Amino acid sequence: MPEPIVEVHDLRKIFPTTTGEEKRAVDGVSFEVAPGRIYGLLGPNGAGKTTTLRMIAGLLTPTGGRVRLNGHDPQVDRESAKRSLGYLTASTGLYERLSPREVLNYFGELIGLEAAHRKKRIEDLIHWLDMSAFADLRCGGLSTGQKQRTNIARALMGDPPILIMDEPTLGLDVLTNRVVLDFIRAEGARGKAIILSTHYLDDAEAICNEFGLIHDGRIVGRGDLAALRAQSGRTRLSEIFLALCGEDQHVLSGVPGATDHSSTREVE
Amino acid sequence: MMKGYSRIWTVYRKELVETLRDRRTLMAMVFVPVILYPILMVVLMQALSSEKGRQEESEYTVVVPNEAHKRWLDSVLAREDAAAIAEQKAMEAAAQSLGEAAAGATGRAAFRTQLGSKQIHVVVAENPGAIWDVIAAGMAHAAVIVRPDPGADGVDHPNRVVQILYSDTNPLSEVIYRQLNIILANEAERIVRDRVTKLAGTSDVLSPIVTTNLSTTSPDKQFSKALALIVPFLLVTMTVTGAMYPAIDLTAGERERGTLETLAVSPVPVGQIVAGKFGVIVTIAMVTTALNLGSMTAVIQFSGISQLLSGSTSATAAIEEMEAEQTVRTEPVQPGTPAALQLENIGRRQALESAMNRRTGFVATAAPIVLLAMIPFAVLFGGVMLAVCSFAKSFKEAQNYMMPVMMSAIVPAMVVSYMPTIELQGPLMATPVANVVLLMRELFLGNFRIEAVVIVLLSTCLYAAAAVALATRIYGNEAVLFNDVGSYKTLLLRRFIHPQSLPSAAFALLTLALIFPVYFFVQSSMVGAGSDWMDVCQALSTTQIGLFFGAVVFLAWYAKLDLRETFSLRTPTAIHVVATLLVIVGVVPFSATMQQFLYATFRPTQQMEEMSRQMGALMGETPFWAIILVFSFLPAVCEEFAFRGLLLAGLKRSFGAWRTIIVVGLIFGAFHIYVHKIPPIAIMGMVLAYVCLRTGSIWPGVLIHFVNNSLGAVAENWAGSGDHRLMDLLGLPTGELETLDYSVSGRTMILIAVFVVGLVLMGMTRGAGHPRDPEETRAA
Repeated sequence: MPEPIVEVHDLRKIFPTTTGEEKRAVDGVSFEVAPGRIYGLLGPNGAGKTTTLRMIAGLLTPTGGRVRLNGHDPQVDRESAKRSLGYLTASTGLYERLSPREVLNYFGELIGLEAAHRKKRIEDLIHWLDMSAFADLRCGGLSTGQKQRTNIARALMGDPPILIMDEPTLGLDVLTNRVVLDFIRAEGARGKAIILSTHYLDDAEAICNEFGLIHDGRIVGRGDLAALRAQSGRTRLSEIFLALCGEDQHVLSGVPGATDHSSTREVE
Repeated sequence: MMKGYSRIWTVYRKELVETLRDRRTLMAMVFVPVILYPILMVVLMQALSSEKGRQEESEYTVVVPNEAHKRWLDSVLAREDAAAIAEQKAMEAAAQSLGEAAAGATGRAAFRTQLGSKQIHVVVAENPGAIWDVIAAGMAHAAVIVRPDPGADGVDHPNRVVQILYSDTNPLSEVIYRQLNIILANEAERIVRDRVTKLAGTSDVLSPIVTTNLSTTSPDKQFSKALALIVPFLLVTMTVTGAMYPAIDLTAGERERGTLETLAVSPVPVGQIVAGKFGVIVTIAMVTTALNLGSMTAVIQFSGISQLLSGSTSATAAIEEMEAEQTVRTEPVQPGTPAALQLENIGRRQALESAMNRRTGFVATAAPIVLLAMIPFAVLFGGVMLAVCSFAKSFKEAQNYMMPVMMSAIVPAMVVSYMPTIELQGPLMATPVANVVLLMRELFLGNFRIEAVVIVLLSTCLYAAAAVALATRIYGNEAVLFNDVGSYKTLLLRRFIHPQSLPSAAFALLTLALIFPVYFFVQSSMVGAGSDWMDVCQALSTTQIGLFFGAVVFLAWYAKLDLRETFSLRTPTAIHVVATLLVIVGVVPFSATMQQFLYATFRPTQQMEEMSRQMGALMGETPFWAIILVFSFLPAVCEEFAFRGLLLAGLKRSFGAWRTIIVVGLIFGAFHIYVHKIPPIAIMGMVLAYVCLRTGSIWPGVLIHFVNNSLGAVAENWAGSGDHRLMDLLGLPTGELETLDYSVSGRTMILIAVFVVGLVLMGMTRGAGHPRDPEETRAA
């Protein structure tokens, strides 16, 4: 087992709110990811996933704790840390008036790739992500799936050893979904350390090696699928999720016919 | 490091391409100026000329009560016509005898009428009693009623009372009633002249004094003056408008489209991203302004409006004089008499006018000034708008912010433009917007002062730099990156600031850019023409302690910087102490010789020499203890803390050792512009920066600075009481600046050599906190 390339230790983030109180968004999160492993960071909305990922990427300053990306602290060695990272979220936009090829070229230049190398890399990415049909059209006119593929290509431009993907398949159709997931799996096989955060638990179950379940800013479940099953006593990831996040007790308890969960779910 | 700056260029290119692909930008930038102005101008000219034509061709109906009135009024009109024709002939004759320059003066004198009798129809009313209603109903343009009735008297011309009825709401009625007034006044004058001639044989008594007015300014300069009022204001407006859209699009637009996060995650420092955007905003502002102005100029040139503004005053004046000659009997013109002087002045005026006809035109001289002034405006507004828009989360919010920014730019421009007595002096030279407007006015009128240009451009650039630094700070702040997080309190309140060991370059530059105008204002307001040494000492102490030391240290503390690291508060090593002593031995000979060399090579201007003389006189009055305390000790400590402390610490992280040294030296020199001694002081600043970097301690620099300032004072003090040895030893000049020769004694050379040895010794071992050179960083 190679040395972990992503180290997150006791990460905390406290937000000052306009009312003057404090919000403990992330309250002591720790995990590690080694090269070639795909780590699934899962949790309900508002649990602190996105905040954690932003801290790892260096977009937010942690209130406490430590992050190391390939040995670099994103708060101290900003450039080196960011160079080791490819970051993708559902909300990252593209430049409407540029084509995907131009976007990739721009980010390649910003990373510092030489012209010849850049060109080859762009061609490779266009090929691997099946983008040739729209690589030279303006981003403003692309469909969601095409935009997302462009985004992924952008994150991979520098061939970084670490990938953070926050909801990479949000809103994609089944075919594109499959393309993206296969791609992630392939990158993992090539030795990248990948942190994946998604609400599509079936997808997560299929490709992640290990998991971290976040709830209210803390990790409430960790380990591979076997460990989680042992911890929670459930089989399927969605069940484990509900059990460990403690939500299945009181949701919809007042609505008649809604408390019986077993009927609709077990269509295996 | 080179790679770092090429990324600014990358960002710049991409933002420029993206902005130009936006149809709205292209429309605003190109379509509006190039196509709209000519169309507007053509339409305007058409409207004006058709209005004039209509006025000239209009026919006016004037009603009178009876036939006798009509005969009387018709005869008055006929006499007016005849007088006009006679005057026209006289003018043409005068013009011929005065030559070419007077050819343009065939326009009639202002008090003559414009309408001929052909356009005025006098009609007898059907019902005299209903004349009022006829006018009120608009069926005729005016009515004339004369008392006593013209038919009642015979050949005599008694005094008359004439009543003119008209209607305010009918524009033609207004035109004709004014004209009738003029016509009747002229008729009255004719009658008076007749009467006087009958009584006295001549009407000379009626023209006791005839005046002619001649302007000594050439028509060019008069045109310049008119333009100096309008153009700066136009320029401000256009640049602000040109910068507005790209500023909004590149900042708030980026956030709205969600691409800001993507950019923040790339390994490009925020400062470089902001710099690239700034470049695009400035470029587009300048191109828009240039296109607008170019189009306007072309349109004005080709439509002939410029001709309207060149009135020919000499010919009119000459004609008036000729008329005066005819009514006044004067002696023949002999040289040396006032009459000859008058004729000579007319001649000079004519020469000015004909000289103007030969020149290429105003545009050639004005264009460079305008283009030059455009740059500081574009830079300043680009920076300010960038900073302001960085706060905005959306396009709409940014647009709301733009209005106050535009107002705060346009209003000073307007106010200053229309106050002719304001001069570009003192604090005004560093006041944003107003200083460039005033500078443009001076340049248009032909006054070129190098210090004014330098201070204006320098202060404007500093403000722009401060704005860009502010934008960098905002852009990189997470409260702004993620709308849902926190409030602006996180930007300003101390408890949200994260401790750092060293300041960022942006922070250091921003602090100094804010200090510069305050420093300037305090100096200018506390030191005036009548100041004595106490005032000057007070001003200096205030700026040194309050600004360079107090404000800087306070801000460093507030930003939770490591004070020891930032201000290099360490003890130097033994070797460095030795090196410092060597440097001290030779620092004054070095700086004195350097100054001599610079003065010999670049002769100072009169103003600089005057300043030096005043400073010298002031220093002579100041008691010795005050000189040592205020002019040596305080600057040695306070300036070191500001420049070799905060500024050096901020720059050394991103710029590397040698670039930091140069920039710190230059900025240090720029602050001393008030003393008109930038180059030698800049070089000293570099030396001190080198010392601080190499030794890792601020104290050697403080000591060297103190010795440099005070030793000179000590030597002069001794020389004052007769002991010149120290002066000679140090190689200090003893005469007036103009009489200086560039010569260096042997002993001085030795001392300078010791100085250099000290510096080299310092460089051989590096103290703590020295930045790694780029080569080392890349290898690591």
